[in-house]
Amino acid sequence: MLSIKNLHASVEDKQILNGLNLEIKAGEVHAIMGPNGSGKSTLSQVLAGNEAFEVTEGEVTFNGDNLLDLATEERAREGIFLAFQYPVEIPGVSNLQFLRTSVNAMRKHNGIEDMNAAEFMKLAKEVSKQVDLDPAFLKRGVNEGFSGGEKKRNEIMQALLLKPKLAILDETDSGLDIDALKVVADGVNALRAPDRAILMITHYQRLLDHIVPDYVHVLSEGKIIKSGGPELALELEAKGYGWLGIDDQAAANHG
Amino acid sequence: MKSASTLSNAFLQPAGQALPAALLTLRFDRASALADLILPTRKTENWKYSAKHLKLTDDMASTLPMDASAEAGDYNSGYTVVMVNGVVRPDASNYPTLEGLSIQRFGDLSEDDASVAADMLSKSISDQPAKSGSVNMSQLNGARFEDGLLIQLQPGTVLDQPLFLIHHTTASHSGSAYPCILVAAGNNSQLTVVEDYVSSGDCSVMVNTTTEFSVGDGANVTSVRLNTEGQSVQHMGTTGVRQQRSSRFESHSVGFGSTLRRHDLHVRLEGEGAECKLNGVVVTQGTQHYDNHTTIEHVAANCNSEETYRNIAADKSHAVFNGRIHIHQDAQKSKANMSNKNLLLTSGAEIDTKPELEIYADDVLCAHGATIGQLDKQSIFYLVSRGLSPRDAKVLLTMAFINELVEQIPVEQVRDTAHTGLKQFFDQAFKEV
Ligand SMILES: Nc1ncnc2c1ncn2[C@@H]1O[C@H](COP(=O)(O)OP(=O)(O)OP(=O)(O)O)[C@@H](O)[C@H]1O
Ligand SMILES: [Mg+2]
Repeated sequence: MLSIKNLHASVEDKQILNGLNLEIKAGEVHAIMGPNGSGKSTLSQVLAGNEAFEVTEGEVTFNGDNLLDLATEERAREGIFLAFQYPVEIPGVSNLQFLRTSVNAMRKHNGIEDMNAAEFMKLAKEVSKQVDLDPAFLKRGVNEGFSGGEKKRNEIMQALLLKPKLAILDETDSGLDIDALKVVADGVNALRAPDRAILMITHYQRLLDHIVPDYVHVLSEGKIIKSGGPELALELEAKGYGWLGIDDQAAANHG
Repeated sequence: MKSASTLSNAFLQPAGQALPAALLTLRFDRASALADLILPTRKTENWKYSAKHLKLTDDMASTLPMDASAEAGDYNSGYTVVMVNGVVRPDASNYPTLEGLSIQRFGDLSEDDASVAADMLSKSISDQPAKSGSVNMSQLNGARFEDGLLIQLQPGTVLDQPLFLIHHTTASHSGSAYPCILVAAGNNSQLTVVEDYVSSGDCSVMVNTTTEFSVGDGANVTSVRLNTEGQSVQHMGTTGVRQQRSSRFESHSVGFGSTLRRHDLHVRLEGEGAECKLNGVVVTQGTQHYDNHTTIEHVAANCNSEETYRNIAADKSHAVFNGRIHIHQDAQKSKANMSNKNLLLTSGAEIDTKPELEIYADDVLCAHGATIGQLDKQSIFYLVSRGLSPRDAKVLLTMAFINELVEQIPVEQVRDTAHTGLKQFFDQAFKEV
């Protein structure tokens, strides 16, 4: 589904990704771990099409298409979804209006007619319950005044609503209390499907207790330096990053 | 270089004489006073940004004639008075008939009522010559009006529907129009007045308006002002408000039209416990130039003022906001809140904002804030990453900037017109994507 080859990317002339390779097939769940500043969010932003990041080398194909040729909105409509590490607050734009515009943009792309307000309301209420968000949140501004945990649940709610082919979850587990972690994990597990892939960025094994990945990768200085199965995450949890030769300073920042 | 110029003599010649003596006298005095004043220049403090756009050439001086074919607009369901080029067209109007309400044309006023009108005009706070000694637009209206309305509400009278005043300027040749509206709302009366400024034709014209509100004790007056005139119109508007004890005044102004618009809004809170709320939405595009100058004077104690203006400027347009709050010495326990937020959609657009506070009382709560920003890139990315087109994302964000104010407009037809106008604005402003 997703094939990343030798990806180099920079932001404001600072090189961040340095030859990253990754293959993800439909139905798989991949976890990426790695020290702060290693480039995990950069990878997710590049995949989603944030123009602040410049791809300087390498290629990315998504279901056979050159992903880097697609505009941000085209990537979304083709099924790429990014749950932001820091969801943006947009006062004055109601969550409901935003989500309906989004769902209808996807439907239009797939040749399906618009969902009317009533139909949409019903659907939105269902998914908000699924992530344990009071439907009253739908009427508020997008992420406006949401707590950290509420923002993360709102991201998962959007994923459930938009049913992406590839869901990239950037630290969706950070800042969640134990109950919320369970809710988010249940949401992610509900997304698991044979025709869908999930790429989770996380610092913590505890999420991986709930969502068992097929592969775990370690990202350091813009490259994947080690890949393995779920046992790799346990090993990292026990030993930290030092044994992989990642410099101690970066490893000390971990978490 | 040419020395500072005065107003051409052609501007000091009103056409019609069919007015009561008191008003003729007032008009004559205004014209005489104007003769020696210079036109505003960029050195005139309150015309700093707008003087260069003001065009008062001789061809603009003649009074635009009555045009019996001018359309009244779509407000036929309610109370309407249509003024064409500053003169009332009774045949196109639909006057409310209500005990306690009188709407009279200046030409029909009794001597007593004419002195009421002249008194309101001569006391008009916005009519004082600018300190700089330059021509003031409302004085020019005073020197030129041909017709006008005196709207009087007896104490306790409540108008059940908004009164629409449709000001139609016919720009089929150059000239100017000087509508003049006086509203005297008696104690505990209530009314909503909509001033809708429209135009047809595309010759250079100026419409120069005066609107005066006298708001009695406990009265509740709402003024809605909509400007959708064409691109050949210079709009010079002045609104003066005097509020008595425990009265409430609201102003909602929305502007997209005309090439140059200047609106001076001056509210005096003269009676204890009075409160006002002033909302303004301005969107500009192309080479439009909009200048809102507001003054709120807290004269009496315990008054409350709340002001919120939003400007959005696209293309090479320019918006100016100057908000002055003057709290007099005796106005203890005044509460004043002023917010002006501005959104620049292009690098070629310009917005200037200036809050001015003069506070002479010691026990007051006064807050003000002004910001100028652009659409937030992260917000656009967030929306677009959910499949919205960049254009839809920008429209949502821009709309969010002013929606709160549009939704507060208490007259549905005006909200609808605002939405239509905004949609056209967005179509134009975000055409590139
Ligand atoms: N917009 C930006 N401008 C400048 N530097 C940036 C920008 N975005 C990211 N960086 C830098 O790029 C590097 C990688 O950042 P990134 O956010 O990808 O790290 P991360 O692996 O997600 O870290 P964390 O675990 O803390 O979320 C960091 O050094 C960061 O400061
Ligand atoms: Mg990150």
